[in-house]
Amino acid sequence: MRPSVVLRHCDRLGSGLRFHDGLPAAAGPARGGGSMTAMALRLLVVEDDDHIRTALRWALEDEGYDVAEAGSGEEALQAVAVSAPDLMLVDLMLGSMDGVDVIRQVRRGLDLPIIVVSARADTSDIETALDAGADDYVTNPFAVKEITARLRALRRRVGPVTVEPEAVVLDRDPVAPLVLREASGTVHRGEEQLPLTLTEFRLLCELAAAPGRVLSRQALLERVWQHGFFGDERLVDVHVRRLRTKVERDPGAPRVVVTVRGLGYRLDPQ
Amino acid sequence: MRPGLRGPDLRRKGLRARIVLGYAAGTLIVSIVLVTVTFLLARSYLLDQREASLTRQAFADANVLDSRLATAGTEVGDVLDELVPSGGADVVLRSGDSWYSSSLDVGARDVPADLRELVGTEPAASVVVETADGPRLIVGVTLRSSDVEFYELAPLTELRQVLSTLAAVLGAGALAATAAGTAFGVWASRRAVQPLEQVAGAATRIAGGELTTRLPATDDPDLVGIVASFNSMVDALAARIERDARFVGDVSHELRSPLTTLVTSVEVLGGRREELSPRGREALGMVEGELARFRRTLDDLLQLARLDGAAVAESARPVCLATLVRQVLADGDRPAELLEASDDDTTVRGDKTSLERAVRNLLDNADRHAGGPRAVRVGRADGAVLVAVDDAGPGVAPEDRERIFERFARGPRAARRSLPGAGLGLAIVAETAARHGGAAWCSGGPDGGARFTLSLPAVQP
Repeated sequence: MRPSVVLRHCDRLGSGLRFHDGLPAAAGPARGGGSMTAMALRLLVVEDDDHIRTALRWALEDEGYDVAEAGSGEEALQAVAVSAPDLMLVDLMLGSMDGVDVIRQVRRGLDLPIIVVSARADTSDIETALDAGADDYVTNPFAVKEITARLRALRRRVGPVTVEPEAVVLDRDPVAPLVLREASGTVHRGEEQLPLTLTEFRLLCELAAAPGRVLSRQALLERVWQHGFFGDERLVDVHVRRLRTKVERDPGAPRVVVTVRGLGYRLDPQ
Repeated sequence: MRPGLRGPDLRRKGLRARIVLGYAAGTLIVSIVLVTVTFLLARSYLLDQREASLTRQAFADANVLDSRLATAGTEVGDVLDELVPSGGADVVLRSGDSWYSSSLDVGARDVPADLRELVGTEPAASVVVETADGPRLIVGVTLRSSDVEFYELAPLTELRQVLSTLAAVLGAGALAATAAGTAFGVWASRRAVQPLEQVAGAATRIAGGELTTRLPATDDPDLVGIVASFNSMVDALAARIERDARFVGDVSHELRSPLTTLVTSVEVLGGRREELSPRGREALGMVEGELARFRRTLDDLLQLARLDGAAVAESARPVCLATLVRQVLADGDRPAELLEASDDDTTVRGDKTSLERAVRNLLDNADRHAGGPRAVRVGRADGAVLVAVDDAGPGVAPEDRERIFERFARGPRAARRSLPGAGLGLAIVAETAARHGGAAWCSGGPDGGARFTLSLPAVQP
């Protein structure tokens, strides 16, 4: 435990030199499906409508993704069990097993970004899906560009792993301190590594970048999800809720990630 | 004669007035009948009593007279003095051709001829005559054995006074009863109209969109039927409205899957534009344009179905309208100088996405019909935040200013092909405003164009 290092690191966090974009499009879009690069991200499309699924595969392959298809929830889980994809696109209205169940199952072991396709943005199934672990959503009918924009936002990652991972202590609990290692993309409570999803991790990093300062929902939406002014603030609320269940000692009385009524959220290092 | 022309006064009056009038007239008639009957009965009873007692007295006096006259040598005049009639009555009698009387005030002239005729045939008779001193009851008895006609004359002034007092009392009673009846009528009319007023209030609320409004249950047997049928009518109405709304929503949902496939496939085609022949590229361009329009219309329909269905309260958050308008202008690549925002707090409570759509629709509407917005003003007025979009187009005729907010209403010069989604935009604005407790309207703009205003209740600090 070296508090001096922590303080120095916090300063550096504030300077904003943290992320670089790992955009799949930047890796070279493989138009026409000809030359798929080795870096192509593997995307699993879970959609029970054959036509939509096929058209989506064509369009997303054009955008440079390596697309696998699943026509049902069961198929999707099998595909994930065989080889976990980098991203998932899940329609909520599937046949026997609905999209929320698929997300819940996948989330037991994987932190990959999951985007939900829903019929309506204002229904409770969106919130159910977000609670289950979805990272973002698009509403039907969508344009493929909306999906790729969302996928790109969610895949932005922390910088390359440095030789000596620097750590930020968020909670100086003497028994099990909460430590964020941004460079290696991990959060530990004591010896245990917390199973944060990629989006939860990025949300925590954004909050940790400005300890003690309030970040509005709007600002978090823009930074984590790259949504504009009209983004859905429920995304932030649900993800903060999920984040708290993992990083707070008592999620019912949060002390690390606190709500500032009417303004947003603030990270208070303990 | 047309039926409408008959009794126009009563018909034109309201239900309450008619009930009150009915009660007043009813009690008046009943009390007049009662008073009249009572008066007549009382009068004839009292008269009968008086007549009977006077007749009894007359017989008694006549007997006394008869027995005295039977005694030889008794003069009629002497006996007359001995007869002391009670109650102020006077005695007049004829013996032979001579008339005698107990008082100077009365005499043979006071005995009517027809009474004398009656007394000639009957043992006794009576008559009431009007005199200068008031009415007088005269009872005549014939003493056949001594050829004497015996009359007793009693004044009825006292009886007349009693009767007039009685009449006054009864009349006052009748008036009081009528007044009480009228008062009861007022109360009863209020009672009778109260359920109607409840129905009217409920109907007004329902017309205003509160489809959950129902009449409270009642145990009044006369109203149970009305309340039940009113409530079932509202149930049926609500169910119908909901069914219609759901139908639109369902149809739109059903169209979504094929549209998604189409949009996605056309995007794939668009990525291979260079592989197509020139004609193919043209066709693709047309498909893309129409598809965008189709998608826009479907989006509008879904938005309307959404506005019909859910309450805004769930997703309502404080939204600064000036910021929102600035953002909509920026997103639509419109110059920020269009916005003329006041320094007031322009925060409302609402669903940001719906409000954004409403503002965007107003701007699109100006594009479509008036060559684009001239200015967008955001400010406060009377507890509301107003967003006013001015254009420099031809304006909207006053008679069309409400109609254009209806669904699928189109301006006369709507450019149907080039601009997508015409027909639902303003309806969405109106519905959004209504869902937020506000309003939307159209008026004349300052430059001769049209001004479309969206008004939403401001958040009270």
